[in-house]
Amino acid sequence: MTITEKIMARHSGRDKVVPGQLVWTNIHTVMTMDYLGKQTFTQLHKLGLSTVFDKARVICVSDHLVPPPTPAFATMLNEWREVVKAHDITHFYDLGRQGIAHQIMVEQGHVLPGTISIGTDSHANTYGAVGAVGNAIGVTDAAVAMATGKAWFRVPESVKFHITGKWQPWVMAKDLSLHIMGMMHWNGHLIYKTLEFDGPAIAELDMAGRMTLCNMTVDLGAKNGIIAPDEVTRQYLSGRAKGDWEMIASDPDAHYEAVYEVDVTKVGPTVALPDKLDDVVPIEKVVGRKFNKAFVGTCTNGRVEDLEIMAKILQGKQIHRDVNMIIVPASQTVYLEALKKGYLQTLVEAGAAIDTPSCAACAGIHTGVAGDGDIVLSAGNRNMKGRMGSKNAQIYLTSPAVVAASAVRGEITDPRTFDV
Amino acid sequence: MTTIKGNCWVASDYVMAYDIIVQQYWTSPVDPTENSKWVMAGVHEAFNRENGFKDQGYTFIVAAHNFAGGGKSIEHVITGLMGAGIQAVFADSFARLQFRNAINYGLPFITCKGIAEHCRTGDELEWQVESGEIHNLTNGKVFQSIPVAPFVSEVAAAGGLMPFIKQKIADGSIHQLS
Ligand code: SF4
Repeated sequence: MTITEKIMARHSGRDKVVPGQLVWTNIHTVMTMDYLGKQTFTQLHKLGLSTVFDKARVICVSDHLVPPPTPAFATMLNEWREVVKAHDITHFYDLGRQGIAHQIMVEQGHVLPGTISIGTDSHANTYGAVGAVGNAIGVTDAAVAMATGKAWFRVPESVKFHITGKWQPWVMAKDLSLHIMGMMHWNGHLIYKTLEFDGPAIAELDMAGRMTLCNMTVDLGAKNGIIAPDEVTRQYLSGRAKGDWEMIASDPDAHYEAVYEVDVTKVGPTVALPDKLDDVVPIEKVVGRKFNKAFVGTCTNGRVEDLEIMAKILQGKQIHRDVNMIIVPASQTVYLEALKKGYLQTLVEAGAAIDTPSCAACAGIHTGVAGDGDIVLSAGNRNMKGRMGSKNAQIYLTSPAVVAASAVRGEITDPRTFDV
Repeated sequence: MTTIKGNCWVASDYVMAYDIIVQQYWTSPVDPTENSKWVMAGVHEAFNRENGFKDQGYTFIVAAHNFAGGGKSIEHVITGLMGAGIQAVFADSFARLQFRNAINYGLPFITCKGIAEHCRTGDELEWQVESGEIHNLTNGKVFQSIPVAPFVSEVAAAGGLMPFIKQKIADGSIHQLS
């Protein structure tokens, strides 16, 4: 069995499962957040219940709407707080302790290797970075899981991405992610599949990069992305993991519907062109294109390692006068660490604005949205028309390194040709 | 053995969730009768009138890949189809979000590879629920679909996931779900 099949078998009390099978599994943690959380609790109440299955395993996070930009959102947040408090939820990451839910789930150790965690937001796939099955579900499924500690799943077919080679300087997991997007296409035949990443280039990848890679598997249409736990995972989780866990991996004879090889040596900085995620080009094709807004943050690229690489590039430099740059640390913990390490100082001195940890402009409903005619160079995950606000804005997606180098020149710039 | 018999509508192309329920109805209340009035309005010109699809009286939909795709999770897609009398959808594959919604509301989404190539709109089909066999009574062809898991039929019989879970909580069998 593959790692995903093993996890589903183990938590449904079976020795074996096969792709296509429907099973009820135990859920390690259920995440819900400010935008849909109130509705989720309302569904729970409709089941006739006033308590959740385990107060310490329902994780509540404020991320889409904090701090509230409108009175309507402020009211929504107040109602949300009330219901979370009424349920006496142990882990409530509200304004002041907030962060993007997926970041919080992993960094605070609420996701463990070999277990299943779900969330009411599409990028719950991120949890695969530590070797968990992470999956997005709707409010009804979340309510059922909050009531029972269980959810039903269709066991997915597994597809393997075997990643070999050496990471080139300034090339990040995001570039690999976009490269795979260009290879496989959005809504292609990866729909409903589990994507497993392994190989020497994955073994070298830090947890931040693994999170980026698993995060964007949902944008490939996949059910989940997963990387088997290893020494990197063990070190990352030590002092964080809320609970015990064991190493788990796919069997040597596990069946994959397809295996793709990618030599990361050949992957350079990569860009998705406006409107379509899979309209992906190597950076050489777009070098020199002008833009006026730069955005780095989100559950894809708002981690300390992302801020670090930008600080390296922007050290002693000035962001171009025609570019507004907003940087949003993915959580308060990330914010504090970047502050202590001096990255934020470097970024502010370069002329970047630091926004409060949140989803910010990512979904076009919070701070820093795009207006008519804006051309945004973003390290986020989605670039459809209107995603960040105006339908008349264009969004290019790329890595934090590309955004930082480009912000200095005011045009898309290959960080490999940039004088750091 | 349960069998369901009726006419089918065969999709000629991809069927997207946002065409099954067009944008102006995304925020309507989730209600089978209401949602069925304009269901499929964006899929075919002939269905773009009140009860346009419902009045055809189809029992099944037959489609190829990624039925109800496009990344919309709105539940009206399922309630709309159910309100219009659809009892099952047979397709090569389904979009993930709507697959969950379908099961949670009790509309069987049945995976059956290649069926769309051998059915025409108006053909009479007979679906043998437990075995998963689908007989096209009009042309005599037989297809083997993936049988529904027992819990899916139980959810459908209970009227959806919420009543199903409620029942399980009430009779104390909630811990036996596997
Ligand atoms: S950062 Fe963007 S993609 Fe991630 S959870 Fe928030 S809105 Fe969704």
